[in-house]
Amino acid sequence: MNEMTSLSTLTTTLLHPARQTAQALFAEVDGARAVVIATADGFDLAHAGHQTIDPARLAAMVSSVSALGDAASRETGIGTPRYLVIESSDGRLVVRCMQVQQQALVAVVLTDKSVTLGFVLSHLAQAEQLMNAA
Amino acid sequence: MAMTQHKIVFSGPPGAGKTTAIAMLSDTPPVVTDVRNTDAGLSKELTTVGLDFGQADLGNGQCVRLFGTPGQLRFDFMWRIIATDALGLVILLDNTRPDPLDDFATYLDAYADLLPTINCAVGIGRTGECALPTVDQFSSLLAERGLAFPVLPVDVRRREDVLMLVDTVLIQAEMRT
Repeated sequence: MNEMTSLSTLTTTLLHPARQTAQALFAEVDGARAVVIATADGFDLAHAGHQTIDPARLAAMVSSVSALGDAASRETGIGTPRYLVIESSDGRLVVRCMQVQQQALVAVVLTDKSVTLGFVLSHLAQAEQLMNAA
Repeated sequence: MAMTQHKIVFSGPPGAGKTTAIAMLSDTPPVVTDVRNTDAGLSKELTTVGLDFGQADLGNGQCVRLFGTPGQLRFDFMWRIIATDALGLVILLDNTRPDPLDDFATYLDAYADLLPTINCAVGIGRTGECALPTVDQFSSLLAERGLAFPVLPVDVRRREDVLMLVDTVLIQAEMRT
C-alpha cells in the first residue's frame, strides 16, 4: 500500500509559522533534543533538533497519544487535553495540544532529564500564542 | 454464568469501515479517536489516529471487546500494539480503492508473524460498486502465502455482516480448542 499524501491548503499556510516555532522552541529550551510540530492526524509540519529521530514517525505517534488523551478526557468528563507528558527514565516527551487558526495541531518537545517540566510547559503555551499571532 | 471476554481487532486501510463496523456492533457508544483529516489525497472528513473501542454481548456468556486500528501506514506502530493478545483479527478492505490486493498484501506483511496462529477473517467492502478483484483473487493471495482464511463480501453498515465476521473468527477459535 503506497501512502500518497498531500497536505490541504489550510495546513500548508501553517508551514512557515510552524518552522519558526519549532526552531524557537528548540533554541529556548535547554536540554531539548528535538521539537516536532504536527497536524492532529499525524503529519509533521516542522521539526528542529540534533537527535537522530524520524520526525514523521514521532508526529504519527504523538498524534495517536494526543487522540487517546482526548478520548480519555472526554470519557472521564474533564474537558479537552492541553498537555500530555511521558516521563521516562532518561527523558521526557512533553506534548501540547494546540488550536492554531482553527486547526488542531500537536507540538512535542523531547527533552533530557535536566529540564524543569514547568519551563517546557510555559514555552509550549507561548509557542501556541505566537503561532496564532503570526 | 461467568462472562468470557474476547479481544477482536479490526484492521485495514483508511476508509474500509473499521470505525463503522465497531459502532454497528458495540452495545455502548464506542470510544473513537477521530480527528480532522488534512490529507487532501484522502476523501474523508475525519480519520482515526489512535484506536476505536467497543464492546458487544453476544449472549451465551460471550462478550467481545472490539478494537480498531488507524488505517494509514504511518500508524503501523499502533497496529502491533493493538493486536497484542488478540483472539482474532478482522482485515477489512475497500474494493473501490486503487489497488485492494496491494492493500491486502500490506496487512498480510504487517501481521505476518501473527497470521499462522491468530483466528482471522477478511471482509471485502463495496463489492457492489467494484466487483474486481474477486473474492477468489483475495483467497489466491492468501494461498500464495500458505494461508487460508474466510474471505467474505460485506457491508459494514449492516450489523449482521459485522456479526458474521466476528462469528467467523470465534468459530475458528472454538475449532482450535
